[in-house]
Amino acid sequence: MVANIVRSASRRDVLKIGGLAAAGSLLGAGQGRAATNLSFMHESSFIQTYDDFFKKTLVPEYQKATGIAVDYQLISVGSLQTRMATAAETGSGPDMTLCFFNWPFLFDDKLVDVSDIAEGIGQKNGGWYDSVREAVIVNGKWKAIPFGNVGQIMNWRSDWFAEVGIKDFPDTWDELLEAGIKLKKAGHPFGFELGHGFGDNHGWLYPLLWSFGGREVEPDGKTVVIDSDETARAVDFCRKFFQQTLLEDCLGWTDVSNNKAWMSEQISCTNNAESILWFAKKQFPDIAKVTQQSLNPQGPKGRFHILAPWSHAIYSFSPNQQASKDFLVWLMDPKQVERWYASADSYYAPYLHAYDDAPLWHVEERNLPYRDSLKTSHLPGWPAPIGRPQSESVAKYVVVDMFAKACTGKPTKEVIADAAAQLKQIFKTS
Amino acid sequence: MSAHSQAIASAALRPRARPSLRRWTEREGVFSWLMVTPPVLFLLALVGYPFVYGIWLSLENRPVAKPGEFIGLGNFIANFHDPVFWQVAQNTFVYTFAATALKMAGGLALALVMNQEFRFKNLIRAIMLLPFIVPTVLSTIAWMWILDPSFSVVNWFLIRWGIANPGPSWLGNPSLAMFSLIMVNTWRGLPFYAITLLAGLQTISPELYEAATIDGASTFARFRYVTLPLLKPVIFIVTMFSVIFTFSDFQLVYVLTRGGPANATHLFATYAFDVAMGGGQFGLGASIALSMLPPLALLIAGMAWYMRGEKSS
Repeated sequence: MVANIVRSASRRDVLKIGGLAAAGSLLGAGQGRAATNLSFMHESSFIQTYDDFFKKTLVPEYQKATGIAVDYQLISVGSLQTRMATAAETGSGPDMTLCFFNWPFLFDDKLVDVSDIAEGIGQKNGGWYDSVREAVIVNGKWKAIPFGNVGQIMNWRSDWFAEVGIKDFPDTWDELLEAGIKLKKAGHPFGFELGHGFGDNHGWLYPLLWSFGGREVEPDGKTVVIDSDETARAVDFCRKFFQQTLLEDCLGWTDVSNNKAWMSEQISCTNNAESILWFAKKQFPDIAKVTQQSLNPQGPKGRFHILAPWSHAIYSFSPNQQASKDFLVWLMDPKQVERWYASADSYYAPYLHAYDDAPLWHVEERNLPYRDSLKTSHLPGWPAPIGRPQSESVAKYVVVDMFAKACTGKPTKEVIADAAAQLKQIFKTS
Repeated sequence: MSAHSQAIASAALRPRARPSLRRWTEREGVFSWLMVTPPVLFLLALVGYPFVYGIWLSLENRPVAKPGEFIGLGNFIANFHDPVFWQVAQNTFVYTFAATALKMAGGLALALVMNQEFRFKNLIRAIMLLPFIVPTVLSTIAWMWILDPSFSVVNWFLIRWGIANPGPSWLGNPSLAMFSLIMVNTWRGLPFYAITLLAGLQTISPELYEAATIDGASTFARFRYVTLPLLKPVIFIVTMFSVIFTFSDFQLVYVLTRGGPANATHLFATYAFDVAMGGGQFGLGASIALSMLPPLALLIAGMAWYMRGEKSS
């Protein structure tokens, strides 16, 4: 009996609480329409000071200037794409979101055309880098405002390289191979990710493929051309490079692995973003002192880097589209954006020429190659026009696994044929 | 006497206030439906709807954030021509069979040991459940360190004892990576087997063992002719569950290898997720996930048929 009373009471409470919550959310929505609130979804940055600066400095500043409170919704690393998909599919979520890579192409239909503010922001900041246009302009319309590039270049141990008589970082892949052979013999192997991570694998394998002249698809976006002599040379090189310079474990690595190996002094060279030096400086100052960074080596057909853009987009279901545009314009104004860039040193390399020689690049001169890499950076799938198929190719690790399989000893012909079969299915030209 | 008995009397009287409704709900036909309807509705909403929606998705070309377009069996045909799909299928079967066999053998052995009388029996039974209780993602991260080439405890011992230097690359070598995953899955799934089989063992009447012993049956014969036949229904149920869970495993692979190296450990669930979420191809992803259904259904039907045969013979 008593139990029944308690139970019915708690049920009433539940109804009451539920009712209040529903009323609360209705009020919240009402406020949203009046644009006193904006929500901005971001993935947690590896650079803590970057998120802190936004929350503690930019949010209050914007509220003071306009009365609009910006809710900076941080989500855990690696879950942004799932959250973006959920918001796009259900038609509810934040007003604005961070995008990576070619995602403006994936979520095209659900993103607002921001062409009207994009060029203006560019002009105010010395103009956009050309390379970033391929990541955000979908069918002639800007679907996101580029922010910064989390580029990948070569990180190497200057002390161990010096031990085998190498002062400057090798300029070509062949020279790097030679250096690697010496260093592995000296007990300092290289460590480049060949497994199923989300960034460090694509980060060096696409540039490797391109620098040997290989490509997945022609610029027509249809003709699969992975089966070429150029690709074969890149694959043969990669197998040799793996066998003679790398740790065997690289095949199973994910994105944290090379950082762990670096900080535990297992490897003498890897390919990573600026975070590796940033972290070493904070936690392992002795390692940081001998950490050098250089552009990727060049191959027979040139030098390439991966384009890894962060950009900001507005959802088309947002009731606050104009308010969101106004916010992005304010955010990208030199007065604000320069300080936000600087809060992460140069981790987010600006796509805006006004910052080419900004103080943020001179906080740490060893980071300058990240800026220089922008000119030769492209998204996976280049030189074909970027679109949805590239996402499928990346998700299926077509290029990464082509190289990885060769490293496990499979013949070059076979691994290229596998990749070609997958690409033909992805680009539906078989 | 008094207040207490009066309360009982009034409580007994109260239901008579609405006799017709009560009588109606107590009719077997009505009552059973009343009991069954909520779970059925629950299942329809949370299992039935997503399942049917999944089938529908698999028949569509349905990129993320875009309306779908019906393409019939197009996705399944695409999978048929996808070399990785077949590798994933092979991986899933190897993984499921190896891990299930190991779990069954180890779980049975563990249950037999646990069924003996010894000190701290209950405590040890509780400890045994740990791998099953700890959240998978958490325990898998511990395994990530155990199998890490630079910091692996296993390799530390191997190097220290002079068995191998450098230690093997547990997650980097394609065959070893699959082996490692099977081991971790077995470690996690063993307690489920052991505890369920232990429950089964405890229902076997000791008299049967006594009778067998009097008839001169050896320990092995008692196991073979008393324990095993009586345990069979439990073994069947637990194996069925285990096969389903192992076949559709996701977390373990996703945390440890994400399907690498070179797809050597990709399973249906991880591949489907990568294609659907990473690749933004919901339809194709759904068709890969749905490919789990026929083999699982066949397997379960086969096992049920086998068990029925056993029962009637």
